[in-house]
Amino acid sequence: MTTVEVKNLRKSYDDFLALDGVSLTAETGQLVTLLGPSGCGKSTTLRCLAGFHEPNGGDILVDGESILNVPSNRRKFGVVFQNYALFPHMTVAENIGYGLRLQKRSKGEIETRVFDVMKLVRLTGLEDRLPREISGGQQQRVALARALVLKPRLLLLDEPLANLDARLRDEVRWLIRDLQQQSGITAFYVTHDQSEAMAMSDMVAVMKAGRVAQFATPREIYQKPSERYVADFTGEANFLTAQRVQPVAEGRYSVHVAGADIEVEGVPGLLKNAAAELLLRPESLTLVTTGDTATFEGEVIKCAFLGASLHCEIALPEGGRLKLTAPPNHEVGAGDRVGIAIDLSHAWLMPEVAP
Amino acid sequence: MIRSKKLTWALALPALALIFVFMILPITNMVEMSFRTPGSSEPFGEDYTWMHYTRILGDGYYWGVLRRSLYTAGIVTLLCLVVSYPIAWHLSRAKGFKAVFLYACIASPLMTGVLVRNFGWMIVAALNGPLNESLIALGIIERPLRLLFTQSLVILALVHVFVPFMVLPINNALRNIPQSLTEASASMGASRYQVFRDIILPLSFPGIQPGVILVYVLAVAAYVTPALLGGQMVSYMPTLIIGELTGTFQWPFGSALAIVLSFSTVLVVVLFTRLTWKLNERARA
Repeated sequence: MTTVEVKNLRKSYDDFLALDGVSLTAETGQLVTLLGPSGCGKSTTLRCLAGFHEPNGGDILVDGESILNVPSNRRKFGVVFQNYALFPHMTVAENIGYGLRLQKRSKGEIETRVFDVMKLVRLTGLEDRLPREISGGQQQRVALARALVLKPRLLLLDEPLANLDARLRDEVRWLIRDLQQQSGITAFYVTHDQSEAMAMSDMVAVMKAGRVAQFATPREIYQKPSERYVADFTGEANFLTAQRVQPVAEGRYSVHVAGADIEVEGVPGLLKNAAAELLLRPESLTLVTTGDTATFEGEVIKCAFLGASLHCEIALPEGGRLKLTAPPNHEVGAGDRVGIAIDLSHAWLMPEVAP
Repeated sequence: MIRSKKLTWALALPALALIFVFMILPITNMVEMSFRTPGSSEPFGEDYTWMHYTRILGDGYYWGVLRRSLYTAGIVTLLCLVVSYPIAWHLSRAKGFKAVFLYACIASPLMTGVLVRNFGWMIVAALNGPLNESLIALGIIERPLRLLFTQSLVILALVHVFVPFMVLPINNALRNIPQSLTEASASMGASRYQVFRDIILPLSFPGIQPGVILVYVLAVAAYVTPALLGGQMVSYMPTLIIGELTGTFQWPFGSALAIVLSFSTVLVVVLFTRLTWKLNERARA
């Protein structure tokens, strides 16, 4: 039952501008991911939400009311930290029950609620252990339980999986998503891992140098990025310089790319002859050896056989390179001339840098 | 890294030699001395006896002095802790030049020789000294207080010089507490006081414990300050011991007093460590 509106948030340290007008929204029950490389401002945004940082400008509205004057201990937000921040001198049960003890709940209530949440995150039996006596994955679940047991208005997760190994990361990722959806808690999630962001989020904000480069659903972020930076950050991408850009309809353009004239979808509002790039994700490219249906032709530079698939890099005669994934039964090698078919419905025209 | 046992011992040798020559030998020597009979024309006699210990333990006067020494050191330690904790807190938050400056300020009592520092106190605390004059000027007192040669002045002077020994370990412990713990407890609803009480204070205990032990041991053994600022009216164990050793040349009896004091101090330290062991174990991350 919590909506969040971040409006034009600004934050600077001495001479470094960490947030340069960040705007975001989260509807009730949504998980919004802040995605970006280190230093892009994603953690700073989260820390402003948590109340650990005071922004220099802008506003944060929760359920329509500004929370900037509410100290972090009154915000009733659950925070999960990258290093878990468990209290080393308290047992697992004491860590989880700490917030309830602060609320002066009865001993019985604390016990039941701690027990229930521990069952939820599958920690039963570890009540009396100290944090240093349990594994990283278990520590992470304690941190999660500790935040959830207070039924927070908002859940803030700062790279919660960064310190886990790959197998655990997958497990905890689904646990977080399941719990978040079951309880219907609105959540903000900070990560630099695009696959994590894709898999978990309702909405993704790709951040770049203290700004939100694009705020949209995972599908849109991946298939219809607003600029090259976003496309690059959200997965494997091929870019070809587009010439003679000609709008034909709202969000549709005819362009000249690598010697061919094609019609593609793209970012709305591009002007005639604007500098633009065509995004081709590897999975929208198919290798064709015959050449008759090919849109492009090129020369194989590298080819790696991965068993289940074939990863190829192909140089186009007009310049530019394409990476693609082919079925493993194609027998192609370096130096072969091949044709490439494009799924034009999944090609996307966009500016190199959004205006 | 795999290192041969021989090499390990060889590397430990200088330290072991140092401990043997400067600790084991003198203490053994002193224990032996404490059982010697008193001599008439020399500091000690030929034979061995229990008489010094029975004399000390059988005489209420020595019990009283021992109690005063242990008790005063306890007060000094407690005051030191109270004064040092906020200083350590500020020091642990300081960075760059500010930190260097604060370190220098905190170490400043140790930069003066022990005699100079105590004579300084004598001047400051004199009847017409600056302390009394300021208090009168501020209207807090009407007539000068007799500060010199009081127990309070001894305690004040000892707290002054021992603060660094308390500040530094606590500062170290506070620096080791990640900021995220404070933030986590705040996000769970803890007020600043609750964060301090539940998180900061228990987790700084690994610094409090060595600070307390260090200051206590130093305070019990302090000689110059009580001798100069305490006057003739009150005796502490170190002043008694020095009196026996260099005044009346009763080396066996002086040694016995020293052994009793050392033993009592160790007992207090062990007791304190045992009582706080569990707390410390938990807080050691």
